[in-house]
Amino acid sequence: MAQRDVKQRIDSVKNIRKITSAMQMVAAARLRRAELRIAALRPYAGAIRRMTRQAAAAAGGEIASMPILQQHEQENVVAVLLVTGDRGLAGAFNSQIIRAGLRAAAEYEAEGKTVRFYASGRRGVSSLVFRNLDPAGRYIGFTDRPSYADARDIAQDLVQAYVDGEVDRVEVFYNGYVSALTQEVRREVLLPLQRATIDEAIAEAEAEDGPETGHHALVEYEPDPDVILERLVPDYVEISIYRALLESTASEHGARMTAMRSASENAAEVIEDLTLEMNRARQAEITQEIMEVVAGAESLT
Amino acid sequence: MARTTFQVEVLTPEGAIFDEQVEMLSTRTEVGSLGILANHTPLLGMLAPTELRLYRSETDIVRFAQGEGYIQVGENRALVLVEDAVRPEDLDVDALREKLKTAEAELAAAAPGTEAQRRAQRDKRRCEAFLEVAGVDTGH
Repeated sequence: MAQRDVKQRIDSVKNIRKITSAMQMVAAARLRRAELRIAALRPYAGAIRRMTRQAAAAAGGEIASMPILQQHEQENVVAVLLVTGDRGLAGAFNSQIIRAGLRAAAEYEAEGKTVRFYASGRRGVSSLVFRNLDPAGRYIGFTDRPSYADARDIAQDLVQAYVDGEVDRVEVFYNGYVSALTQEVRREVLLPLQRATIDEAIAEAEAEDGPETGHHALVEYEPDPDVILERLVPDYVEISIYRALLESTASEHGARMTAMRSASENAAEVIEDLTLEMNRARQAEITQEIMEVVAGAESLT
Repeated sequence: MARTTFQVEVLTPEGAIFDEQVEMLSTRTEVGSLGILANHTPLLGMLAPTELRLYRSETDIVRFAQGEGYIQVGENRALVLVEDAVRPEDLDVDALREKLKTAEAELAAAAPGTEAQRRAQRDKRRCEAFLEVAGVDTGH
């Protein structure tokens, strides 16, 4: 390759490195913000647990009759919610969710069940559309910064489909956030909501607050505790989805940061190789010129 | 003379948005309007969408458009737990009108007694309450 071509390639790789390292820094800043939002959910979720405990103790009875806690007699239609991102350039972040969801769907179909897809994130929606798997719910435009209202929309679509008997089971696939470097595909059953989820929440609230003291006997309830409980229980579905969206966002930024870091490192390597090549080409050219000069001088004598 | 104050924390899934001493808190439960002063008896309430008012004093009032949620009062503190709480000036009236229209259409299309109907009703109620907080007359 001529010196000039190599020089041009070095310049273009340097430009690419500038972009990838800028993207890496942006991802790092967004990751920090996403981590803060996961932390901000904790006190709310804790308060919901404490109120559940209080309302459940006051209601004193069965909550198992709620439709979202009841398993359907037959499991014919399974809803699969894929939580992906609006954008790519994040390594395996999107593809591993789509792959896991499709694999699970194939297993359900092999059992003779119907699968109904829901997807959040442009990447998930477009891969489903590309495969002719028309998603029943499409949620896009917020994966950089999901709000609770986004989670509520998704949750209410799924709860409605479950309670009205359109689907018999709901599963979610998302990238769980372990650390900036590690994200893992998580698969969770959202509906039917497990009675154990509520019992665990109550137990957790008890562990935080200590045992029941009995002073709740004097508490006023507006409306009755069983009515309050009936709204508290579906909140667990919303919170689960919101947490999945937040973790997915943190994972996306983490994955993008890692992907862009290795892209920048690769660029540095390429620049080094090309610089070597350019020096070699220059050396060859100089040698060539000296040879010509020497040959010319020799022919004169 | 200033009234006795008590601590109020307003907590959303996106974090605490208010944590101060106030003289009075006014909101709405599913049963009806509710005003809380210092030393209120312990209470657990389920909140309906409305305007949440926090009176730092008689004239200094902090307002939020509040979505569905819960209130817990005890030991001279109040915890307001809401899905959304928006400052009235941050409400997007056009977007709310759009959402209200969607909810009304869904309500008309939903079969009676279904979850779809209940959901559309809740959406409609929230949009109407928020529009009212924003100062728009919704005909109620």
